[in-house]
Amino acid sequence: MRHPAKPLQVVCQRVRDAPRWLLNRQQTGLVLVILALAVVLTAFSGTHVDRRSGAAVNNFLNSGTLMQVATDASFFAVMAIGATIVIISGGIDLSVGSVYAVAGVTMALVLRSPPQGPLQTVGVGILVSLGIGLICGVINGLMIVGLRVHSFVITLGTMWIFRGIAFVTSRATSVLVPDALTGVAKANFGLGPGLYPMPMAVMIVVTLCGAIYLSHTVMGRHVFAVGGNVEASRYAGLRIERIQLGVFALSGLAAGIAAFMGTSYYGSASCADASGYELYVIASAVVGGASLKGGRGSAVSATLGALLIVLIRQSIRSLRLDQNYEWIIIGCAIIVAVVLDRVSTALTSRRLTAVGDTHHRGG
Amino acid sequence: MRATASSCPPSRPIQCRPILYQDMPEPLICFVGITKRFPGVVALRDVHLDIAQGSCHGLVGENGAGKSTLGKILAGIHRPDGGQIRLSGSEVCFGGPHEALGAGVGIVHQELSFCENLTVAENLSLGSLPTCGPFWSRDATERLARECLDSLRVELDPQRRLGDLPVSQQQLVQIASVVSRGARVIVMDEPTSSLSQAEACRLFALIERLRDAGTTLIYVSHRLEEVFMLCDTITVLRDGAIVATKAATEWSRDGLVQAMIGRPLDDYFPRHMEQPLGEELLRVEDLRSPGRLEGISFSLRAGEVLGLAGLVGSGRTEIAEAICGLDRRATGRILVRGRPMRIRHPRQALSLGIGLVPEDRKRHGLVLSMRASENLTLPTLKRHARMGWVKRRSESAVVREFFAALDIRAATPGVVTESLSGGNQQKIVLAKWVAARCPILIVDEPTRGIDVGAKAEIHALIDGLARQGVGVLLISSELPELINLATRILVLRGGEIVGELSRGDADQDALLRLMAGIEAT
Repeated sequence: MRHPAKPLQVVCQRVRDAPRWLLNRQQTGLVLVILALAVVLTAFSGTHVDRRSGAAVNNFLNSGTLMQVATDASFFAVMAIGATIVIISGGIDLSVGSVYAVAGVTMALVLRSPPQGPLQTVGVGILVSLGIGLICGVINGLMIVGLRVHSFVITLGTMWIFRGIAFVTSRATSVLVPDALTGVAKANFGLGPGLYPMPMAVMIVVTLCGAIYLSHTVMGRHVFAVGGNVEASRYAGLRIERIQLGVFALSGLAAGIAAFMGTSYYGSASCADASGYELYVIASAVVGGASLKGGRGSAVSATLGALLIVLIRQSIRSLRLDQNYEWIIIGCAIIVAVVLDRVSTALTSRRLTAVGDTHHRGG
Repeated sequence: MRATASSCPPSRPIQCRPILYQDMPEPLICFVGITKRFPGVVALRDVHLDIAQGSCHGLVGENGAGKSTLGKILAGIHRPDGGQIRLSGSEVCFGGPHEALGAGVGIVHQELSFCENLTVAENLSLGSLPTCGPFWSRDATERLARECLDSLRVELDPQRRLGDLPVSQQQLVQIASVVSRGARVIVMDEPTSSLSQAEACRLFALIERLRDAGTTLIYVSHRLEEVFMLCDTITVLRDGAIVATKAATEWSRDGLVQAMIGRPLDDYFPRHMEQPLGEELLRVEDLRSPGRLEGISFSLRAGEVLGLAGLVGSGRTEIAEAICGLDRRATGRILVRGRPMRIRHPRQALSLGIGLVPEDRKRHGLVLSMRASENLTLPTLKRHARMGWVKRRSESAVVREFFAALDIRAATPGVVTESLSGGNQQKIVLAKWVAARCPILIVDEPTRGIDVGAKAEIHALIDGLARQGVGVLLISSELPELINLATRILVLRGGEIVGELSRGDADQDALLRLMAGIEAT
């Protein structure tokens, strides 16, 4: 059992360990990069005069722009958490953008004849979009487990299938959703005009849930084990198939949540929604340090990765760079981010090596 | 649970500069002040060592003593953090195994494998495939491979896929590859650890031919018999430093063991035999699997250590896999505590109280990317959880208990398993299943690649488990281990049980004869 230590000593020890703990966290690097980019943006984006108050306002460092960045990030950050869980388990999910579209379109179609009352409308909306997302994820998972085909191939196929279903059911039109949903997604909570914190709040909640799932639950531990070594997990008596099914279900569910938020926020759903998102989603996970080989990744880092990508996109606008270079810049940034992450991992292990000098030789 | 009292650190006289062997000719290789650090540990500390041209130099030591690291530094796999290597008098610094091979230094070890999807011939000339115009020439590749294999008198079909070959033959291909690229120095890193006795003999013959041809060999092993048989000079390492270097004739076996472990080795006698056997835990009747097992029947009682002896491929591991539901084609009756059971998955085996400590710890035993503590509790995590929520306190209590009980040496239980030495990794695999508190435990090669001290600890652990009433099925290639530990030993050959020896009758000679199928003369 643990030594009975005085609480004060414990606290002191924690405080003393904090710098090293922070330094060794994988997230620290990402946060630093995001902060550095934010500082650069604040310094170089210039100011404009606020019409109502007449005060000079920084073009980047103002509540409206920051909230917009968080909102832009939130829709695919939520999906990136699902994708990270899949990637940790050693798989990949290319279909999340299509799941988003099919869930959004279905929800909008069902709500064409909305039930009585705004509360019921929102409830049905949540139920339908999350349900459809979950079902799509389970379909992915069942096919991967049942047909024993690599998840890349299955989700590549379902990426088109789900998108096609959204196309057919919506007849390629844009379907409006009831105002009750937009009211929820754009809830103001008494903040200033034009500030809608709901998507950001959902992103934070989903991130926390993902982080807790990965680090504190049996399922989360098993996801890491399966991604790290399938054979050893099988020998340890883990239900490999059930775990694989579970991660794809979660990824679908995450896409359903994103679909509900996104569709409600923008007020309409169409089959072209979130096309190409799967790549942003995987990029967020990878920038967040997830290893495509499996066994490594974090939910918080995935969200930070999504934020970083949106911030890079934002910087093209704020710094008035040529918009045509957006894709090139993002592509380069993703590669640089991943290489930097590997360098910092190598540095961490070297620092641990140096620490090893003072330790007793470990056999 | 431990037989040896290793909790207090023994005094360790560390002699940095070895006694140089005076009659040696000009050394071919000089290690000068080599230091190497890994995350959490210092693997080598200021090592000075000379290796003579044309000698077969043994490097022995406990697991984690640094012997493999020294060999890998010479072969360019690791870079030293300090010191230098001189080859024929001039300093060298290899950026990788290919550069080392270019300078004539090759290595044979298990982790450095080839492309398993290619044939033997393609693997042998992978760096420089012979071409015919813009295309590579299959005929020329195979001719080269055949010449190379013939020159070493290795009988192998160069057209076979490397992945289809057993480990022993893959190793021969490695040696052939290294020799064919003109290596003057070959580092052999634990070459026999996964070979059967007969296969090892073939390897020894090859090593002797190489030595006679003037190749300098550095033989890293923890099997002292082999080292005495093959090497002319033996260096003992302990805790990353050299203890002594002497000619093989000057070492005694006891002296070598003493130098390796730095404390006297306790004579070990299993104490579980003093107790009467308990109820029958496991009965296997007519277990069959096409091409692997032929009508295996035996029973295992509580408090018994049942040894399974046999050459590699004789069906020992296959029995374990069939019992635990890993062999889908296996048929036969398995009775657990008298009740017939159909086991289709290791999870089911676990729930019936059967634990399997697998042979290949890296592939089947551990998730190397996870923490040591997480590996330890992997099969039993649900016992430390409520509604799927892991109770960290309950988990870490068990982790601490077993880290202490098995004397697992790591900076903290939270280190990544990959960074631990082989011996400590093996202890974690064992701890994993001991922590699952299975009444029936199948241990497959529990001490492979493990140093003498850790071996004794694991033997004591198995003995202790049997005394607590666990039925242990012990699979081992090491006959002394079986003879010392097992209550009785079943001998397998070609998937059949060909004999049973009680502890009184079992000796190495009788076992070997049964295993190989040679009649007593």
